[in-house]
Amino acid sequence: MSELALFIVRAGFLLVLWLFILSIIAIIRADLFSERVLTKVVEKNMPTALSSPTTGITNLGDFSAAPGSSSIVTAINATPSILVVIDGPLQGTELILDRKELRIGRAPNSDLVLDDDYVSTQHARIQRIDDGWVIQDLNSTNGTYVDGQRIGAPVNIKPDMQIRIGKTIFEIRG
Amino acid sequence: MARANRVVPKKRNLELFMLLFGFGLYAFALAQVQLATILILRPDGWFYWSLPVVAATVFHLVLRFRASDADPLILPIGFLLNVLGIMMIYRLDLVKSANEDNSVAYRQVIWTVVAILIAATVLFLVKTHLSLRRYIYISMAVGVLLLVLPLVPVIGKTVSGAHLWVSIGPLSFQPGELAKIALCIFFAGYLTSRRESLSVVGRKAFGLRIPPARELGPIAFIWLASLGVLVLQRDLGTSLLFFGLFLVMIYVATGRVFYVLVGFVMFVAGALVASRLMSYVGGRFDAWLDPLNDALYQAPGGSYQLVQSMFGLAHGGLFGTGLGGGLPQIVPLAQSDFIVSAIGEELGLVGLFAVFSLYLVLIARALRIANAHADDFSKLLSIGLGFVIALQLFIVVGGVLRVVPLTGLTTPLLTAGGSSLVANWIIIGLLLRLSDTLPKAGTVTE
Repeated sequence: MSELALFIVRAGFLLVLWLFILSIIAIIRADLFSERVLTKVVEKNMPTALSSPTTGITNLGDFSAAPGSSSIVTAINATPSILVVIDGPLQGTELILDRKELRIGRAPNSDLVLDDDYVSTQHARIQRIDDGWVIQDLNSTNGTYVDGQRIGAPVNIKPDMQIRIGKTIFEIRG
Repeated sequence: MARANRVVPKKRNLELFMLLFGFGLYAFALAQVQLATILILRPDGWFYWSLPVVAATVFHLVLRFRASDADPLILPIGFLLNVLGIMMIYRLDLVKSANEDNSVAYRQVIWTVVAILIAATVLFLVKTHLSLRRYIYISMAVGVLLLVLPLVPVIGKTVSGAHLWVSIGPLSFQPGELAKIALCIFFAGYLTSRRESLSVVGRKAFGLRIPPARELGPIAFIWLASLGVLVLQRDLGTSLLFFGLFLVMIYVATGRVFYVLVGFVMFVAGALVASRLMSYVGGRFDAWLDPLNDALYQAPGGSYQLVQSMFGLAHGGLFGTGLGGGLPQIVPLAQSDFIVSAIGEELGLVGLFAVFSLYLVLIARALRIANAHADDFSKLLSIGLGFVIALQLFIVVGGVLRVVPLTGLTTPLLTAGGSSLVANWIIIGLLLRLSDTLPKAGTVTE
């Protein structure tokens, strides 16, 4: 093999090696900047969690019924509320409620994960009904407390109501 | 419900694309090694190429069915690092004389296949990493047992002064490599449950929050244990790795700089005392500080190896001598401890930085997985697994490049050696499992 050919092969190898790394970086870059767009698309295509506003709380568990979804999407984009954790290990955490439903529990795929022995895997669910929020206990072991009262049925959350789950106390503002 | 939203095929297709790229790169590397050292293409190159390629493809298929949402970059990076190692080891084998062991690359290929298949099995067995939390005290027991195993009289074996090996019949194994995974799981589980009490704020002095004295118990215990490893097994690297891992994880769990400072001071003090008392540690320090001293260079176990590696790296320069163009074989243990200097000589600074970039991305992926997880155990486990690789790389490369004293550790995935390959592929398997169980996109965490 001639010197020149060997040189080209050697330089080519380093080049291809770096090309591999640049491809990795390109993938990471695409991953970083496309995620937001992806979530939006996914949300649009998701079956709407809420039934029509008039039926209200009674239909909370019914995921299949999905009339009037478009109006809810616009309502959510208007003014998102904020969930603020005011006591417990996650104190100070703020969650922008820009979705229709928020699951709370110890399961790692919950929207608000509470790593606390007094919290069940799927503990509670907060859903958007009309312009307000409704909290529903998902048959948890230690219960969900709204202003000190353990709740049985779903409860409409008013601003500055304090909700306690395990060691965590939070409220919804805005 | 969450499953339906996943954009599954895209990630796996990206992985397949990068893997195919890696397969091509590996073929190029092997062909180049053969052309430059023996001047012809030999058919046995197919053996070295096809076995790791088939194993990686199998692993990719397992991921498609068992962990379809796992990170797409971890497997291709792990594969490429592994085969760059084989490439270098094969190149060193080809120039060995007849009385030297020239089947290191052959064994490395077999071990690669075994390690990748074990990692795939891990994905089958560990359906969710959270189940590991149930076994934290068992992990501790297993970890300690694995560390002590080489000291057991009959099966323990001493290689170049360090008691790290276990040999049963023709098989020898370094159990410490697996111990690091077990201890990582234990630290993650233990710190998850103790996090709150460890981060309790005590008195404040010198701008540091000092925790109550009783909370120093665990750190003192781990310190004693790692000094025990240093004294009994005569291995500075393993001892530094375990203690460093614990410090990293306790810092991540509590956010208290105090633990890191105290731990660092304790370790340096311990190591200084050890260097006075044990000639083995002292020799490493002297060779580190003054390698070009002629007396040290000539001394058995002195700085000869380190100096040869420095010459090799200088010979390589910016772009390297090209595969087959340098003389990395004159550095003792070029295929294991000093593989970094062999790569640096033949691929140059540019090639060495490419290898480091691969590690950097791999570790960054582990940190990203930790960041995206919502619960403490998953976070700490990903951090721990990522930092096992990071610390090990720092200790061994730092040793070769004279940033820290030289210690005997393996370069993750590159070095010749079955135990190390198996352990690091298990880490890769666990990281893939951790990335597959991430909370869905858009989920807000702390």
